[in-house]
Amino acid sequence: MTTIQVFDPALCCSTGVCGVEVDQQLVGFAADVDWAKQNGADIERFNLAQTPLAFAENPQVKAFLERSGAEALPLILVDGEVALAGRYPNRAELARWAAIKVAEEQAASGCCSGSSCC
Amino acid sequence: MNSNRKFLDQAPRFLFFTGKGGVGKTSIACASAVQLADAGRQVLLVSTDPASNVGQVFGIDIGNQITAIPAVSGLAALEIDPQAAAQAYRDRIVGPVRGVLPDSIVKGIEEQLSGACTTEIAAFDEFTALLIDSDLTVGYDHIVFDTAPTGHTIRLLQLPGAWSGFLEQGKGDASCLGPLAGLEKQRSQYKAAVDALADPQRSRLILVARAQSSTLREVARTHEELNAIGLSQQYLVVNGILPESETAQDQLASAIYRREQNALTDIPAALSGLPTDRIELKPFNLVGLMALRQLLSKSAPLSTADNDVMPAIPAANLSKLVDEIAADGHGLVMLMGKGGVGKTTLAAALAVDLARRGLPVHLTTSDPAANLTDTLNGALPDLKVSKIDPHAETERYRQHVLATKGANLDEQGRALLEEDLRSPCTEEIAVFQAFSRIIREAGKKFVVMDTAPTGHTLLLLDATGAYHREVARQMGGSNQHFTTPMMQLQDPRQTKVLIVTLAETTPVLEAAHLQDDLRRAGIEPWAWVINNSVAASAVHSALLQQRAANEWPEIAAVANRYARRYALVPLLQDEPTGVERLLALAGGHSQ
Repeated sequence: MTTIQVFDPALCCSTGVCGVEVDQQLVGFAADVDWAKQNGADIERFNLAQTPLAFAENPQVKAFLERSGAEALPLILVDGEVALAGRYPNRAELARWAAIKVAEEQAASGCCSGSSCC
Repeated sequence: MNSNRKFLDQAPRFLFFTGKGGVGKTSIACASAVQLADAGRQVLLVSTDPASNVGQVFGIDIGNQITAIPAVSGLAALEIDPQAAAQAYRDRIVGPVRGVLPDSIVKGIEEQLSGACTTEIAAFDEFTALLIDSDLTVGYDHIVFDTAPTGHTIRLLQLPGAWSGFLEQGKGDASCLGPLAGLEKQRSQYKAAVDALADPQRSRLILVARAQSSTLREVARTHEELNAIGLSQQYLVVNGILPESETAQDQLASAIYRREQNALTDIPAALSGLPTDRIELKPFNLVGLMALRQLLSKSAPLSTADNDVMPAIPAANLSKLVDEIAADGHGLVMLMGKGGVGKTTLAAALAVDLARRGLPVHLTTSDPAANLTDTLNGALPDLKVSKIDPHAETERYRQHVLATKGANLDEQGRALLEEDLRSPCTEEIAVFQAFSRIIREAGKKFVVMDTAPTGHTLLLLDATGAYHREVARQMGGSNQHFTTPMMQLQDPRQTKVLIVTLAETTPVLEAAHLQDDLRRAGIEPWAWVINNSVAASAVHSALLQQRAANEWPEIAAVANRYARRYALVPLLQDEPTGVERLLALAGGHSQ
């Protein structure tokens, strides 16, 4: 099965409530992750502030941080390969990586059906 | 020997003393532990006071392990340092990646873990083990804590949503519970600890206050919050009340006595039904076993006031600081300190003293009562006054977040988000957001504010760039060249942060922590103001003279150790309201 690993930037409270801005992207992404998991996807999230060791132990992630810094997160690996960086994937991308069949609801509204994209 | 204090009557297994810094929680907890031990019980005293002098009181070193107190049969004590607990937690998380990940990233992670929430949760973790039955605790009849977890922490621990992702799988969304993720204990242990706290058969919460209306209001809020989550066994202790006998000798003492008695008469309704004990101000320092045994006794002990020679410390007045501030012609002046130290009054005094010199001033406060600042609006031609309601701002921010962020969450997720929004950080950010709309005026005139964000919040906001964007948006399309807002706060010519404290041990220590926190953000506090000083007033009452003598070592610590410059503001007979009295408070020319 495909494994999707999401390396999040350092967040203090859940999804940035502690910031001055509410990051709508994060809200949408959290919902998309839930949706994908319910459809059988294998998704792991790592928060830089809580599990930095997971970042340090993965040579690709470590090299990414050294090159681009924490500002360039999030970083998404699919089966260990870099799939996306600098933004969160939308629902359609998650579905493609995890091979989730999304016939009717996705087809109808194209890329913009998820709560986070566009 | 029995003092008949209600809060010790049929004491349950766990006693928690809570109240803000400087009200005497630790002293009362010590005295209670001694009294219970004297009555033949086995007692463990747990202090989390960063200024803990429990060891000094008993004449032995205690530290972070249970230590028997030889001088009191049946008593053992333990000191937990919440800062050290938080540091140990940070080291555990960050240590393995130090030198592995880039330094800037490691620093960022450390800052994320440097907030008040981390300290609170780390301290709670330290005493979790004491709330459950184990070999460690089985031998004690009573465990006495000089602290209690906040409602926010307890509610988080009670929420199933807070646990699901994190502690069971060790991954998932971040939350305010984050610090627990790195800890090795099981969820069942935290649950058992929270259950013990909320069990009236086992736990009693003793609210400690002073006879001041602002303090009593704050305590009433704590009472209602903790009552709502099941801590229904609550008692009230009002500490340090000036006895009537002192008033004959002294005008200031009479004024204090009147003010305290009025505060007690008008005690908030939520508190009036609680079993209440009143402890009078004692004429001795609470060091040594003799003093502790007398603290709870109702008979008046002999006065032991030893009139020390007052050290010669120049008592700079507030107006001297205003002279220096005025020289710049404009700028942002922020007063910072714990609740109840008088930030709003001092901000008003500063603003009035600046406006009196014909300088344009905008005073903006978060004073909930606002009767002080209301009277000032229009009182001087160059003074503009506005106010920000912290509760309204926080509520607006909360609703905004729930409407946007919370829209797609399930019930558990929404409950967790709502709790995150009750964290102290949320209020700080919401209020600062409101203030930041006014900050931009500081380029042309003086802006005086009675609050400031902590260094931790500034660093987090700065790291995400969110603060820059926020202020840039507030500045609108003005095309003027502008350094970053963080640089504006770091530049003492543009921004002066004044730390306000009282001349007492714990408040001075808390203020020093605020200063360290600001320094981490590259902001050097410009001055300290010691407010409500008895030492700076002329007193004849023996009790007040004793209090004045106790203040001098604290004033010396501020003057010699902490502050680059400072002012000492006397305790006044009446609350200073109106231009004349505020000017007198500043020690300026008017009287």
